[in-house]
Amino acid sequence: MEAKYDFARKYRKQILQCSKCGFCQAVCPVYGTTLRPALNARGKMLLLKEVMDGEIPLDDALIETLFQCTTCANCFENCPSSVNVPEIIKQVRKDMVHIGSCHPAFEGMNAVLKKQTNIYGEDVPEDFERVRNKKAEYVYFIGCVGSYREDETTMTTLDLLDRLKVDFTLINEVCCSGVLEDVGYRINKSLAEKNTDQILATDAKCVITGCPYCWRTFNNRPEYGKLKDSGIEILHITQFLQNVDLAVQTDQRVTYHDPCDLGRHCGLYEAPRTTIRKMAPNFVEMPHSHENALCCGAGGGVRGAFAKNSIAMARRRLIEAEAIDADIVLTDCNSCIHNLSNAKLRKQSFKICTTTELIHTLIKEQDVQET
Amino acid sequence: MEKPKHTMRYREELISKENEMNKKIKDALADIVGENNLTDDLIDLVSYSYDGSQHRNRPMCAVWPETVEQIAELLVLANREHLPIIPRGAGTGLSGMAVAARGGVVLDLCRINQILDISIPDRLAVVQPGVVYADLENALAPHGFFFPPDPASGKVSTLGGNVATNAGGLKGAKYGTTRDYVLGLQVILPDGRIMRTGSKTMKSVSGYDLTRLFVGSEGTLGVITEITLKINPKPTATSTALATFEKLEDAGRAVSEMMHCGIIPSALEILGRHTILAINQNTDLNLPEVDAMILVETDGYTHAETDYQMKKVVDVFNENHTKEIKQAGSKNEATALWAARKSAYGVLARIKTHFVLEDVTVPMAHIADLLRGVESIAKRHELQIATFGHAGDGNLHPQILYDGYNPDEVERVEAACSDLFQLAVDLGGTLTGEHGIGLSKAAYMSMEHDPVAMDVMRALKQSFDPNNILNPGKMDLDTQGDV
Repeated sequence: MEAKYDFARKYRKQILQCSKCGFCQAVCPVYGTTLRPALNARGKMLLLKEVMDGEIPLDDALIETLFQCTTCANCFENCPSSVNVPEIIKQVRKDMVHIGSCHPAFEGMNAVLKKQTNIYGEDVPEDFERVRNKKAEYVYFIGCVGSYREDETTMTTLDLLDRLKVDFTLINEVCCSGVLEDVGYRINKSLAEKNTDQILATDAKCVITGCPYCWRTFNNRPEYGKLKDSGIEILHITQFLQNVDLAVQTDQRVTYHDPCDLGRHCGLYEAPRTTIRKMAPNFVEMPHSHENALCCGAGGGVRGAFAKNSIAMARRRLIEAEAIDADIVLTDCNSCIHNLSNAKLRKQSFKICTTTELIHTLIKEQDVQET
Repeated sequence: MEKPKHTMRYREELISKENEMNKKIKDALADIVGENNLTDDLIDLVSYSYDGSQHRNRPMCAVWPETVEQIAELLVLANREHLPIIPRGAGTGLSGMAVAARGGVVLDLCRINQILDISIPDRLAVVQPGVVYADLENALAPHGFFFPPDPASGKVSTLGGNVATNAGGLKGAKYGTTRDYVLGLQVILPDGRIMRTGSKTMKSVSGYDLTRLFVGSEGTLGVITEITLKINPKPTATSTALATFEKLEDAGRAVSEMMHCGIIPSALEILGRHTILAINQNTDLNLPEVDAMILVETDGYTHAETDYQMKKVVDVFNENHTKEIKQAGSKNEATALWAARKSAYGVLARIKTHFVLEDVTVPMAHIADLLRGVESIAKRHELQIATFGHAGDGNLHPQILYDGYNPDEVERVEAACSDLFQLAVDLGGTLTGEHGIGLSKAAYMSMEHDPVAMDVMRALKQSFDPNNILNPGKMDLDTQGDV
């Protein structure tokens, strides 16, 4: 019998491979927050199995769980049967959108990106006091969160790049639109083309992204293939910084939160740590780090669609920072920064910022001491 | 042929009456636990239809009680309405114990999850049923203590589930199973009465051992709401080795002779030929393709102590024609030796669409007989059966791999299971060493237990739960006239 949906055509074998052991329950951030097994990866695979077997329909009744996955991939990392749940979820969301069953928040995101240049639908781009679209060695690509929500963070990064005398330019960037692939839609080709053309026009040899998701998108999506084909290197800011001599230090107790997009999805664990260890000898890991890191709860569209649970996931992460008495929680993803900052309780006295922000602060402090 | 219209109408009326009744019951349940703690959403009903086994059935609804008092009230209501109640932990069981065989209400206990006390001077921990095994382990670690049963599902499974199923694990040979650590319980009986069993003492011979009766009772006698566990100081040193055997007989003899050498390893695991072949075909571990591999771990508090024990083990291996022995010189090397054993379940699970993981257990001297018997059963029924397991306590896991969409194969699997159980019983063993009876083995209870034992079990069930509301359909306990 010909399968009705693409998810079944592509992933039937994997879904049946789920042995129902439930080990994902130990690591699923959505389950950890809600203690509701239907929202765990196993619950999702069981539903899809019943859909494939024609026992239940694929419809609105399944939105609450199938659209509530941060795609953090911790389940995949720990699955004895190697079921790639995030990829399956991304595909089934496309099938659901196709039949008209979609979470309104995601429908909204897609609609916004058809008209506007960023996921927030903001009309006026943030002014970062820099000339855009000039010829330069590097392009710094900020990303939507860094442009419209965490603009302070972005400002410090740009100042740092200036101070390091990096020959860079900003472009009139638009959303990379990679996230649409996660929430049931397709990447927006016209947006991708706008970004690619502008980057190429700068004659840059390298694009540095502030956002891990943009970095993944530029590296992996064929819509951005022109960049690599033209010999342009694509670096995340943490990769760029690891080779820079910073000559600043702090004796504060610093920890690092691995963003899923850098860590589990791309295996980038050491670059940020190399930089951090150089300036913070009192570096400590949280109980869960590297491939076991807890998710901040923002990914996969969950922050937009299920805000309350998303914040609760971030709170769970911050409990770990509290447990190790951290003074500073670093992370190099603006989405993580945004969600963790929103979740921070007043009694939690640690600071949450990006590695670049910390470097910037330390350099400024040094300047003050020297004068 | 189209059914006569009046029959259709009659059926519809029946269904609508049933829905109306269910609605009333759900409202009453929601009055007890609160509206937000009851669900009949499709997504929840589907997820609560399953556990780690191949069984499934839809419950009518599920509840997330938050207090012991709510559970007592729920049971009073269920007892009055003759409503099946299925207590559930993490749902990792492998024999259908948490599947709502007759519908009813799934009682998810995961939200009653506080560690109430850790008392090192008293050598005990008091926990609620929803506490995850690993969370207790993490809480005990700073004290240098642990709770030894170590079930493979320990990262997710709950202590309530561990107690209700008498969970065992890799360390069974030396440390026993959950049963050996439960000092006392708080249990709610089907009529809503709250009972305490056992004590906080290391020993007690006061009255019948009601605690033990509840350990492994699979939720059929009462709902466990508090558990007092004995805990152990955690050994700080281990030695690990892996031995290969060209001949199954030699491996079998090595296991039984181990018991003569004066020490008991903390783990003694065996992998049979078909498991080794499957691992080689699906991973890059590149294992030697022999009849059997035995992985052994000794533990203690100094390396001198664990090495001394390991030397005894190695002597036994050598006397029994081991082909090769690898001893771990570091923690990383030990992890590498464990890789094959740890990967077995997952590797086997993904080969075909379905599998059954059995856990027959025999007196240790019969390990080789059991392995050989499994091979002939596989041949007889033309099935792929790979075996691995805990040689140290005679508990093996034949994993039968099959295509569940092929009715002929399903039938052959059922026949093979029956043969496997008969084999274990014939060797003086038991149907199940650690996974429990549940639904999978209910039909085989009388194969192992004589009619008198079955009578006594049913009488016990009847006396605790006369209306058969607690996890009905499990363990072949139903008596005539049950719902």
